[in-house]
This record gives sequence, C-alpha cells and structure tokens, in this order.
Amino acid sequence: MSSVLQYLLTGLSAGAIYAMIALGFYVMWSAAKAVNFTFGDIFMLGGVLTVLLRELGLPLPMAAAGAILIAALAGAVIERVFVRPFNREANAIGWMLTTIAVGTMIESATTATYGSIGRAMPTPLVEQPLRIGGAGIYWQELLIPVVLLGLTFSLEGFYRRTVLGRAMRAVAYNRVAAGLVGIDADRITMLAFALAGGIGALAGFLVAPIVQASSSMGVVVGLKGFLVAIIAGIANAPGVVITGLVYGVMEKFIEAYLSTAARDAIGFTVMILVLLLFPQGLFGRREVQKV
Amino acid sequence: MSAKFWGWFGLALLATLIAGFPWLGDLIGERFPTSYELRLVMRAMILAIVVIGLNLLVGLAGLVSLGQAALYGLGAHVAALLSLRAGFSFAESMALAIVIPAMMGAVLAFPTVRVRGVYLAVITIAFGLIFVNVLREWVGFTGGASGLANLPRPTLFGEPLMAVRRTNFNYYYLILVCLLVAVWAQYAITYSRYGRAMRAAAQSENAARALGINVVGIRTMAFSISAGFAGLGGGLFANLALFVNYETFTFNTSIELLLMVILGGSGTMAGPLVGTSVLFIATQFLQSLGTWQTFGYGLLLAVVLFAMPKGIVGSLGALRHRMTTKSRARATGAWPNWGPGMEKVTARPDEAGQATLIAQGVTLRFGGLTAVNAVNMEVRSGTVHALIGPNGAGKSSLLNVISGFYKASEGKVTLFGNALNNAPPYALARLGVARSFQNTELFTQMSVLENVLVGAHPHFRASFAETLLRLPRFHREERAARAEALRLLEFVGMSEFADEAAGNLPFGHQRRLEIARALALRPKLLLLDEPAAGLTHGEIDDLIALIRGLADRGMTVILVEHHVDMIMAVSDRVTVLDYGEVIADGSVAEVQADPRVIEAYFGHGVAPAPQVAA
Repeated sequence: MSSVLQYLLTGLSAGAIYAMIALGFYVMWSAAKAVNFTFGDIFMLGGVLTVLLRELGLPLPMAAAGAILIAALAGAVIERVFVRPFNREANAIGWMLTTIAVGTMIESATTATYGSIGRAMPTPLVEQPLRIGGAGIYWQELLIPVVLLGLTFSLEGFYRRTVLGRAMRAVAYNRVAAGLVGIDADRITMLAFALAGGIGALAGFLVAPIVQASSSMGVVVGLKGFLVAIIAGIANAPGVVITGLVYGVMEKFIEAYLSTAARDAIGFTVMILVLLLFPQGLFGRREVQKV
Repeated sequence: MSAKFWGWFGLALLATLIAGFPWLGDLIGERFPTSYELRLVMRAMILAIVVIGLNLLVGLAGLVSLGQAALYGLGAHVAALLSLRAGFSFAESMALAIVIPAMMGAVLAFPTVRVRGVYLAVITIAFGLIFVNVLREWVGFTGGASGLANLPRPTLFGEPLMAVRRTNFNYYYLILVCLLVAVWAQYAITYSRYGRAMRAAAQSENAARALGINVVGIRTMAFSISAGFAGLGGGLFANLALFVNYETFTFNTSIELLLMVILGGSGTMAGPLVGTSVLFIATQFLQSLGTWQTFGYGLLLAVVLFAMPKGIVGSLGALRHRMTTKSRARATGAWPNWGPGMEKVTARPDEAGQATLIAQGVTLRFGGLTAVNAVNMEVRSGTVHALIGPNGAGKSSLLNVISGFYKASEGKVTLFGNALNNAPPYALARLGVARSFQNTELFTQMSVLENVLVGAHPHFRASFAETLLRLPRFHREERAARAEALRLLEFVGMSEFADEAAGNLPFGHQRRLEIARALALRPKLLLLDEPAAGLTHGEIDDLIALIRGLADRGMTVILVEHHVDMIMAVSDRVTVLDYGEVIADGSVAEVQADPRVIEAYFGHGVAPAPQVAA
C-alpha cells in the first residue's frame, strides 16, 4: 500500500513537470498558433543556468530568478527572430524547422561548453528523503505539484484579471480583431513566448535538484510536455494540467508493474492511441471550420 | 530548351557520372576509388532515396515528419531480421522492408492528419523515440547496442551482391537503379492527379474537400509513400553494411534528412539529389568539428531557412523564372464564352423539373445558438434557386450543411433522390455538388490551369500503378482533363492566364477561376456563396449571363447573394431566411410582395419597396 502511495507521489511530481511544460506550450500556442518546437531546451536552460549562476557565487533564489529571466528573454528572442517571420501564412511550417534549428544549436552549444555530464544542484529540500514505508521521496518532489497548482491559478488570474492577460486572450481568440481595438498583437505574442520561457525555466529549476542539471535533460521531457499538451487538446489549461499529472502517474506505474526499460515506448504508444480515439484531444473542443 | 529537358539531361548526366565513377581509376591510372569511396557513394545514394520520399511529404503534402529516420531504420531492421532469423531471400526481405514501413506510416498518419500538420511532426518524433527505445532495450531480439551483425550476404537470381571495388561491385549498380526508379516515381507522382491533390490539400483544405479530394486519405497516402521510400533505403542500407543497430536511426538523422530536403529545395524534382549531395559532402567536413558538429547542423539549417527558404534548386528556379519570363500584357477574354465542348460540362440527362435537393426540418446548432432552424426547402432541377436574407440569417450555414461541411443537428437532406446525412464534402462533390466560397479559396501557389485540373480529380479512373507506369489510360485521361480545363478557362475568359500562379490574380479573376474550377467537377448542383461580392457592375452582368446560361442548359444552381438586382435577374425561385428560419419561399414576385420579407429587411412601418423590374 505504501509503495502505491509512493508511486502516486513521485508520479504526481514528474507529471507536474510535464504539466508545466505543457502549460508553456499552451501559452505559446494560444498566442501564435505556433510554438517553440524545442521548448525542452528552454526548460534545460532553467536548470543549467541556475547551476552556472550559483557557481558564480549567487545565492540560490537569485540564481534561479536570473535563470528564469534569461530563459524568458530567450523565449522572446526566439519568437521575434525564429517564429514570427516564418509564421505569416495560415498553414506555415517554417517556424517548426527554425525553432528546431535554434534548439539544436542551444543544446549542442551547452553540451560543448557546459559539458555533457549533469551537475548536482543541492537544495535544502533534497538533503533528507522523507520515508514512506520502504522507499524515500524528497521534499523537493512534493514541492513541484504544489508550485504547479499555484502556477495554474496565477496563470488563470493573470489571463482573467490583468490587462496584459486579457490582451493575450483577445489575441488568442481573434488576432485581427485584437489588432483593430488597438492591441499590438505582435508584441503580445512576444510577451507570451517570454512568459512561456519563464514557466519552462521554472520547471527546469525545480526538477534539477532531483535529476541533475545536464544539457540533455530537456529533449525527451520537452517532447513529452508537447505530447501532453496535444493529447489534452492544447487550448485548455486545466485539461493540460490534468493530463500532465495523469501521464506522470501512469509512467510511474508502468515502471513499477510493467517495465522500466519500456516506459517511454509504452507511454508514447498510449498517447498515439489516445490521439487515434480523440483526434481533437481529451479536453479539446471540436473546432468549427470557418468555410 | 525547356526546364524539363534540362532536368532529364541533368539526371542522365548524373547517372552516367555515378555509373562511371568506379572506373575512374582505370582512366587516371590510380587506385581510386577504393571500396571505401564506393561505399560512401552508395550510402549517399541510399540517403537520396529516403530524401526523395521525404520530399514528397514535405514538398507536396506540406507535412513534416521528424521521425523519418525511424522509418528508415524500420526498413533496415525488417530486412536484417528477416534474412538473419527467418532466412528470407533478398527480394522477399526487401519487399517487406518497403511494405511494413509504408503500413506503419499509414497507421501513424491517420490519427494525426485529421487535425493539424503539427501533430504529425510530434507523433513522428514520438515514434522515433519509441523505435530507438525498443531497439535499445529489447536486446534478445535486436541485439541492443551491439545490434544485428553478420547478416548473410544477399543474392539476387543466384548472384551474390557485392560491393568490393577489385572483385565485384554489382550491388553499387543495383542501388543506382533503385535511385533512378525513385526519381522516376517522384516525377510520376508529382505530375499526376495524386501530386496535385496533395498540393491542393496543403494549400486549401476546404477547397480540396469541396472538389472531391479525401484530404485525410491523400495525406495518409503521402505519408505512407514517403515511409515506403524510407523503408526501401533502409533495406538497401542493411544489405550494404550487413550490420544494423539503432545508432544510425536517431532523431539527429531525422533532422539531417529534413535538412537535405530543405537545402535542396522542397517540392522540386532535383532538390533531393542536390540537397543530399551537398549535405553529404558537407558532413564529411562537419565531422572535424567534434563536439560542435551538431551545432553546425543547426546553424546550417537556420542559415538555409533564412537565406534560401526555397533551397538551392528552388532559388535557382525562381531566378531563372525571373530572368526568362518577360512580363507581358495578358488579355482577359469575354465571359461567359459558350464555345464548343461546354455541353460536356453541362449535359444533364433529362431530369428537368425533378427535385434535386429536398431539405426537411434541417436544423443546425452551434452550442446554444441555432443558426438554421427547421428549414424546409425544395430545389428543382435546372433552376436557379436564390437563398437570401439579412446578415446572420443562416444562408451560408445552410449552404455548408448542403455541401457537407457542417453536419445538420436535426433534419434530413435528400440530394438527387438519395438521403445523404453525414456524407463528407468530398463524397458529395463526387456525386455532383460543386461550390464556391464566400472568401475565395484558391490553391494560390498552383497555376491557374492546375487549379482547374484539381477540379477534375474525381473523374480520373487510372489507378496508382497506371499513373506510376504512365500507361496509356493515364495519358488519355490527363490529355482529356487538360483539354477540358483549357476549355473552361476559355469559358471564363482566362485562357491567357493558364500558367500564372493563382495567388497573383486580381480579385475578379479569382472569382472567375473559382467558378471554372467548380465546373471542372461537371456538377449537377452548383452552390455559389456570394459570387458577386467585390465584382464590378460589368462583371456582375457577365456573371448573371453565366448563371442563367448554366441553368438553361440543365444545371441546378443555388445562389446565396445580397445583390438584389442580380437575384431578381437570375432566380427562378427564392427562399428567404431570417434568424435561421424560412420566412418566405416562392417566385421572385411573390417574395417581393411578402410583408414578412419587407419587415425583415426594412423593419416595421416602412412603405413597401419599389418594384424592381424582374
């Protein structure tokens, strides 16, 4: 029984990371109908930059804030330089390729300079594991779902109550109409990518103490986050969060009862099958085509 | 000389160079090339085959696969496992190395292409990761990291297939033949109704559906074909290396393959060959970058996308086009131009007076909003039936129900005597329902002639095999379709614009083209959604003559329009909608006199509108 509880808790923790990345995709997709395809690298920057800034002598909160800020800036730059010029037509695919190009560059430059080996990021929350039955779980792991919950509600509040958040929703709903009432849709989109960059880096910072900060930490996790967003139906924030948590828990149970080695193979297959059954996503509404 | 001539000439030259390359040493008297160089060329040719397949997907269907390396690897592993563990012959294992990835491609594409292109990209990455994951962990079956080694040497017709410079290198020529076959297949698919349909679906999904193209089907087919090419390449690779493991087929290889397509010029015939050659050579240099090698790939991809989004061949083609094409004044002809041959388009078996369409209690709801409410309507064959009403009355929504774009929430639509609820637009188009769009939906990057040819898509009977082999029926049908398309362009006065890109046309011409394209379906029922919007007075008069002429020749037309003069001039019958309900139905005169119509248009207490001469 206690092992089931442990799987559940670590699953929620991993799932919360997927959910945060998926939220980043949701924010970008809403604003631009395009995303930074290699968003996992922004996530990676959150972990790696925090480690680097700490090695420069900054205390942990400052280092984390710095990393998140830089990642947000990177998000904005990627939107301006690599997404916007390649997303002019309705069915453009250029942004997919350009963001893959920039992601490849970020990842390989990090590998070449920072090294391919992960570095530890000690925080007070990973010093003592909490004992549940036979196995242990770090406080840090329990912290992540809590942060996710806070993040989800603040994002909702931001979208509903602030001028900027409302402008983002307006742009998401109808870009042209938003422009007509004086919203600078391009600037809003850039800010949305910055916001997403911040969210991604926050997730990377939170998970780094558990998995170590390495240049390759973002690749698969970023993709899982995207898949989660798509399976959820990308345009629904609560749906994205729920799907992320469920996927994380599912992974832990696959590891525990089926096979650790085949975890991703089984998980991805399940996702493809779900998409086969729900092409609009689990929480997505069928889009009415404008004819 | 035409570009086509130079294309085939270039290919023949390249083939000769590759075929002669092993003998270069005899010519210059040195020990070059050795088996090592031969193998490099063979690997480049194999990659080119895979890249040609990917080019069909990216360049024609506008879809991106980021897991092509996994399909390539699937082909390699199918071939390796079958010959190693099941003792299949070379030919048998190669056949399955093509078929199994092609089927896998269909399975992957089907759920994703229904929604958005991005989904396919993500699903293919996921497939790539699953593939590598399985290969790495299922050690007992695939050998894990040490892979499958010591594959039996392949034989064909009793001949061992070798790749050794000094004794026997017949496998080199087998790969060259496969490459040439792949180039031919790319050509044959691109310049056929299949290639046109793929491009049409990429450029305007709605218009493609309205012209009888099963968009999900054609995209699934595109992905399946491209996966088949990848599998062919994989099978050839396994039998060349006689060793396979997962490291050759990772995500980075997928990126490399995509880069080759983009670099060469996606959608061009020569692009895959050029892109593969250039990048393959560049890779030999990039290897010296060590840890920065991957960075080099990323940078190269970015630079190409910024500097040459059309790739090397695409950019050169555009340059050539600009230098050789003199801008000339194109004369617009009078329309409608009822020349000989038009009777083929309009010919109807004698069914005048029959009910073409019967709508019974058709209701359409979007959430809580009822756009169309219990509409009953009957449209008789050979008449022009106008559908009018104030803005938001539900006219276009009803039109979309009739053409299958929206599913009616309730009610029944009977077309040509068959109850057709829930038939998709492409199926209705094949039954003879054509339509135009309120905001014109042309295939902007295709030529005017090609746009019309897409409209003829459902009339082709030549199978895929016949198309690939260019058998007589293909030529016959293609010639007939071209002749009819040109006739239709003449009909709308646009013969001189046949080779112009549709996106460059002025607005009035776009409307004309849309009508010509709809007529290419040879429809029994033509739905026109505000065809007069944006046209000049003169053009509207011509449009009236055209619609009237079509109806007089037996075609049934449903016309959604705001332009009152036009409605009065062409309509046999008018149905008036307001707030989704039918408020009047009758002849022009009856409707004009109806107090409810006057109220809907002008509100209460206004004197009846002056009678417009009908």
